[in-house]
Amino acid sequence: MNADFHYYATYCAAILAGYSHSESLDISYSDRFVDSCTRTFLDIIGGEPAAATTQLNLELMDARTDIPGLQDITRIWASFHFLPKDLQAEPGNRCSKRYKNKFRLICGTNGELLKSTVTLAKGKSLQAVGIAMHALSDTWAHTYFAGTPSLVINNPYNRFFEIMPDGSERKITFRHSASQPDDLEKSIYTSSLYSGSENSIMNLGHGRAGHLPDYSFIRYKYLPAWGNYEETVKDNPSDYKHAFCQMIYAMKYLRSEQGEFELKRYDFDAIAEIEDEIDRIITTRQLDSSGDWKALGEKLSGQKIEPFDIEKYQAEYINASKENKDNTFLGRFIIASLAQKSMVTNKIYTSGNKLAGYSVDYKKRGFRGIKAYRKLVKEDKK
Amino acid sequence: MSYFQRIKSFVRGFFTLLLALVLFIFPEKGIYIVAAILTLMLFVYGFRQMVFYFSMARHMVGGKSTLYRGIIALDIALFLSSSVAFSDYIVMFYLIFFYGFSGFIDVLRAFEAKNNGASLLSSKLITGVLSVLFAIALFVTGIIIGDKEVVVFGYCLMLVYSAVVRIVTTFRKTAIVYIQ
Repeated sequence: MNADFHYYATYCAAILAGYSHSESLDISYSDRFVDSCTRTFLDIIGGEPAAATTQLNLELMDARTDIPGLQDITRIWASFHFLPKDLQAEPGNRCSKRYKNKFRLICGTNGELLKSTVTLAKGKSLQAVGIAMHALSDTWAHTYFAGTPSLVINNPYNRFFEIMPDGSERKITFRHSASQPDDLEKSIYTSSLYSGSENSIMNLGHGRAGHLPDYSFIRYKYLPAWGNYEETVKDNPSDYKHAFCQMIYAMKYLRSEQGEFELKRYDFDAIAEIEDEIDRIITTRQLDSSGDWKALGEKLSGQKIEPFDIEKYQAEYINASKENKDNTFLGRFIIASLAQKSMVTNKIYTSGNKLAGYSVDYKKRGFRGIKAYRKLVKEDKK
Repeated sequence: MSYFQRIKSFVRGFFTLLLALVLFIFPEKGIYIVAAILTLMLFVYGFRQMVFYFSMARHMVGGKSTLYRGIIALDIALFLSSSVAFSDYIVMFYLIFFYGFSGFIDVLRAFEAKNNGASLLSSKLITGVLSVLFAIALFVTGIIIGDKEVVVFGYCLMLVYSAVVRIVTTFRKTAIVYIQ
């Protein structure tokens, strides 16, 4: 999903879930910030590099693809952008363990990891809520792709067809020029270069399918690499609407005192009065829907929504004393990010899959591994 | 990383360092050793592509291309192993491409970091510029002047870097703590 949904649509969902204007801004900022919190950014502010929630293109180009390097990439992308749907999934045919491990990281909606993600944010900071909403909404956009470099999973066959609103089909052309914007009129989209190497970063996530999964208006059909030559239709308008209504339900759950987060529940009632407006925004063919979502958000809350500014909380974190850094906005975001990574890595590891690395149970074996995660121990003791 | 993976990484790093040392001591024969290594690597690549096809890529839509790539790589490796006359030039172009490309990426990384608010003058910029300069130096000495020993030293540097990274990786903490 793009910034428009992760910032303005999340704001709208938070307002509809009952959060105040300022709480909704914090949640939507955190949701959007997941796409900005890179190692480069954390280096600048002196934060924990292990808390990175995304990687810049050239950070990826520069990343090593040895075992620790791949585990690091997988932890980032599987935890925040491609939550695996089913860690015990079985591919149709008999296959190697290596193939199975990659197959099981395919992102999808309403998986057990989504439940764990939302539950993890319960009773935590607004930053944790924002991170959970990012992961939740991306399960809808990034369905069928895995948050780990993999040719055999993420490299779809190069025949995509856009299904137009009148039902006709139009062939999609991919080009590899990152500097040029996608051409919606001619259905020309930018995608990553082909690489025959299984672990090339070109084969990470939906890079080979360009930004198609990130546009709310588009419907398309294609052959996923893992799909056994069966055509798959991706209906983004429907998926994005479900994502929006699931966010409202999830945030209502997070605000409530008790209850359990249930999968496959969507708060369609909450949007009954604005459904036409949401449908219009989602189905309008445009690269960026920020203006429309912003207007809807401002109508819902009656407040002005400031644009996302990556530097908004930078000075607060840099100027805070060492003891107070964890109490700043970015400090709380960093803790929530480490907790999410730790939880997802643990679930993947305990499923018998080591693609996201090793997880150490603190209660059984004490503190081991990457030092940055000591923050979680400190937080637990609080 | 598991203990086995750590041991494997250390052993590979150690032998790579050893190889670099041998090449450094006997640079006059080095170009042929380097050519032999690269040919062997191509053999291994071709073989691994075929293993990759049978273990993974056969499940992939359009995965047969992996099998063809493996066969072609093996074929080229066979050809190279029988044509020593070209091997020094192949090594030179390989090294020039390696240093030039990795240097170029480092420079781009430095500018990307600058666009994101970091200082332009960083270790990335320095290593990037040095790598590009080294690629130019290799081109001048290796291709234009025809001094093969310089190329061997260039390859040694690459080996030492790779070995050090492997050894450092062995001791890296990679586990993540989980608190229920």
